[in-house]
Amino acid sequence: MDGFFVIVIVFLLLNIALGLFRVWRGPKVADRLLTTQLFGTTGMAILLVLAGYLKELTLLNVAITFNVLAILLVIGLVQVWKNKKEETP
Amino acid sequence: MSVLIDIILAILAVYLALQSLLAPRLTQSVFLFFAFGLALALAWIRLGAVDVAITEAAIAAGFLGVLFLDALRDFSPRGSEKKENLEAVQNALPKNNTKSLLLPGMALMLGLGLFLLIALEAVWKIPDGGGLTAAAEALLPESGVEHPVTAVLLNFRAYDTWLEIGVILLGLLAVFAVGGIKIYRKPVMATQDPLLRQVILFFTPVLFLFGAFLLYIGKTGPGGAFQAAVLWGAIGILLHLGGRPVFSMIPRWLGQLLLTIGLGFFLILGFLFIAGGATLFEYPPAHAGVLILIVETMAAISIAAALTAIFANLNQMNEGPNEIESTN
Repeated sequence: MDGFFVIVIVFLLLNIALGLFRVWRGPKVADRLLTTQLFGTTGMAILLVLAGYLKELTLLNVAITFNVLAILLVIGLVQVWKNKKEETP
Repeated sequence: MSVLIDIILAILAVYLALQSLLAPRLTQSVFLFFAFGLALALAWIRLGAVDVAITEAAIAAGFLGVLFLDALRDFSPRGSEKKENLEAVQNALPKNNTKSLLLPGMALMLGLGLFLLIALEAVWKIPDGGGLTAAAEALLPESGVEHPVTAVLLNFRAYDTWLEIGVILLGLLAVFAVGGIKIYRKPVMATQDPLLRQVILFFTPVLFLFGAFLLYIGKTGPGGAFQAAVLWGAIGILLHLGGRPVFSMIPRWLGQLLLTIGLGFFLILGFLFIAGGATLFEYPPAHAGVLILIVETMAAISIAAALTAIFANLNQMNEGPNEIESTN
């Protein structure tokens, strides 16, 4: 069972590494932000699997912290960049 | 088998740190830095420091995120007017003079070298038995809490924590010093966007409850005042983004009270201990648990208020020169 957990975690980590490509290229700020949000989701999945692997349930708190605060980035982007007409984010 | 995870995490973290420094465009840097925060949080968990991981998650994903987005908007050129401003600032800066930089540079190098030597000496001297871990574990029952990290932070080394609350307040003062105190006078203009209203209505109680949960769980496990403070501060930032700046809506004295109550209450408590015959921040073991919880709540309120005020002020600073002029 431990081997299964490790394989899943490694797979998810490699997913993040692949997503970096979009952060690097992503023509607009919004593309990069969406990728970062996906990182957050993948990170939460990693945390949940790690919680099962390490048998430590406090990791769920880290996952919730990440997720609850993810909304802040999206709203921040929309509201902060709202008045900037020349370039859509 | 789990070495594989650690290797990937280590490579990812170092790569992201390098790339966020070296990326040619600012937007790339900022978003790579968010990914770096995630990798770092996972690394802290692999090192067994869940407390640090929660703090990293809260600050890197939440607070720093909106601050960076806000700063990013300022640095991206908006039309010709902004470019002219940038050029004006660049012309106003003194021209680089290699001679005048040589002496400060050497002084800086010397200082950093000395610091490194001292740090090296400090690391060298840590005894084999794990330093103070055994001593802290032995006194854990007297501290009033069951989680060793909270016991060290809020009881054994309460003085450090008290100063840390002051450091955040100092950061706010620095923001005030640069931009002036404007947060109290911004007109309240609630957003008309129904989606944003619903998001704020939904997330405010969620953030508050989870912050309170993290604050309380700090007694027995990873969590505590600083993590809770970021979550509570996120409420203030959300409300500010939704057009309801908290510090404009409450009376000025209440804002000042919220900002200073953590530092003040902690200090008054310390002096009460001295008056009672103990030393500063030496809790009576019988009531230590309750006192620590109250101190943590006050500290969390203060830090959350300070984070909100920092964001509100920085966000306001960027809204064009006219508005700043009129609100002064």
